[in-house]
Amino acid sequence: MNATKILQQGRQPMIRFLGKRTTPSTIDHTPKVHPASPTHSLPESFASYRQKAQQHGPLNQTNKFSTGIGSSSGSSLGPIEAGKGSFFDRSELPQRFQRLSWSQAEIEAVESGGASLFA
Amino acid sequence: MFRSIMPRALPRAVRPTPITRSTFCASNIYFQGRSKRGYASEAEEKDLVIIGGGVAGYVAAIKAGQAGLKVACIEKRGALGGTCLNVGCIPSKSLLNNSQLYHQILHDTKHRGIEVGEVTLNLQALMQAKDTSVSGLTKGVEFLFKKNNVEYIKGTGAFQDEHTVAVNLIEGGETTVRGKNILIATGSEATPFPGLTIDEKKVITSTGAIALQEVPKKMTVIGGGIIGLEMASVWSRLGTEVTVVEFLGQIGGPGMDAEVAKQTQKILAKQGIIFKLNTKVTKGDAEGEGVSISTEAAKGGKEESIDADVVLCAIGRRPYTNGLGLENIGLETDDRGRLIIDQEYRTKIQHIRAIGDVTFGPMLAHKAEEEAVAAVEYLTKGYGHVNYGAIPSVMYTHPEVAWVGQNEQELKAAGVKYRVGSFPFSANSRAKTNLDTLGFVKMLSDAETDRILGIHIIGPNAGEMIAEGVLAIEYGASSEDVARTSHAHPTLSEAFKEAAMATYDKAIHY
Repeated sequence: MNATKILQQGRQPMIRFLGKRTTPSTIDHTPKVHPASPTHSLPESFASYRQKAQQHGPLNQTNKFSTGIGSSSGSSLGPIEAGKGSFFDRSELPQRFQRLSWSQAEIEAVESGGASLFA
Repeated sequence: MFRSIMPRALPRAVRPTPITRSTFCASNIYFQGRSKRGYASEAEEKDLVIIGGGVAGYVAAIKAGQAGLKVACIEKRGALGGTCLNVGCIPSKSLLNNSQLYHQILHDTKHRGIEVGEVTLNLQALMQAKDTSVSGLTKGVEFLFKKNNVEYIKGTGAFQDEHTVAVNLIEGGETTVRGKNILIATGSEATPFPGLTIDEKKVITSTGAIALQEVPKKMTVIGGGIIGLEMASVWSRLGTEVTVVEFLGQIGGPGMDAEVAKQTQKILAKQGIIFKLNTKVTKGDAEGEGVSISTEAAKGGKEESIDADVVLCAIGRRPYTNGLGLENIGLETDDRGRLIIDQEYRTKIQHIRAIGDVTFGPMLAHKAEEEAVAAVEYLTKGYGHVNYGAIPSVMYTHPEVAWVGQNEQELKAAGVKYRVGSFPFSANSRAKTNLDTLGFVKMLSDAETDRILGIHIIGPNAGEMIAEGVLAIEYGASSEDVARTSHAHPTLSEAFKEAAMATYDKAIHY
């Protein structure tokens, strides 16, 4: 009878299909020990670096998009205008926003009305 | 007055196609495509800069390219693929395969009914075959770079600051490349033996061992790990008298099951390799024509001197970070020179990650490959995964040795109750027809749940067979699951199934 019972139950394999692989909905990105680390501990420098480092905002934020500014929408970052009463000069901006210097050939082209290009 | 139609600060890509001077139109329009203007002064910032084009680096580069990132990969060797493709796994497999073929033609044909005439070795051609395989594969990787839009920078990279890598180009000159993220994949190098200077001719590492110009009469191998034994096999088959000196009491290095190690040693000794275990090399002398090393018993005592034409140092590998400029960004390494990383492969500087031999874990190409994919996925998707409990190890001697998971001595030390089942290839029909019956499959499973904890194989094609074991461990299978899965007849894989049967019940054919 016991044998029949077992037959009726059938064998339950340990491997079972769990469905399509999905990414967990929440992931904690705070540094933890690497699974293959021989010491099973992270050095103090990891925490102290994060304390002082600012990379597109504080590193300690734990939301999903903490790894980069590119993953948040522009509007969520707030307005880009300078606050009331504060001003900045164009020369304070990164190089690519600054005025370009004229080359000698261009100056000559302007002064000659473009004639220097054909000279 | 000259006035451009498009604003000057617009990037060139946005501007209309340059108008050539042969086109007849107003003169000022000729200025629109001028190359001096726009953002051309500085190279664009990459999404990912990878230092090292080895297995870890090139796989990460391709994966990142596929994900649409702007990637640059810096490699100083002049060929992609790193140690594995150029001087490691791949060339050694070529030599192992062809030397085995030569050995078999010499010694293992008559009783199969094949009469062969005079057999001679052409070492130069043997090496040529190896080089052809290597160059084919490295060029293949270069093609994949082009296909996946990876910029390949040939040169030596060093950190200038946290986002900038200065590259000393192979063809001369320097350049810098900036990256939002940087991946260190600089790999490892052979650990030299203190007191012996590596010249890759008389005192060699694995790099020299795959490029010897003639077959040495005598070779001493310091270190009985996987690399040492594979190279010992190659040269022993080609006619060298090889002595392997190992400090520990077993060959194969850590991880190999003691029973497997013992059996393997027996088989290799039968093939002509001389083993000196529990033996410490105290000093070496390469002054004379050959190389002489002095040894003593590891626990003190008997001293001996071994002379050879060539000494192979195969005592292990160490992470390679020389000249990387880690001091410029304040990155530290641990006591063994490994870069310290967290669970997402990040160093303490968040956007700088490290994978492969340069950081924790076994120094294996397939482990580096897994990490490369996971690290890029962390970058692009925020989630990646590597199961360090299911990484196989393979030694490509003949017969091959392969294992995954835990071995018997580890289980005993951890106090885990387990069951053992094994099946010899001498009882497997296919092995019998192939006249290649050395070895066995051994399976360890949890005594209570029957979940497979470790699989250890010595035998023909063990390296291929272990894939099934890795899958079983990855899926958390029981030995009964494997045993109840149909395996084709007649194949070597039936031995695997029968070992599983022996673990949970009884094997049929033994």
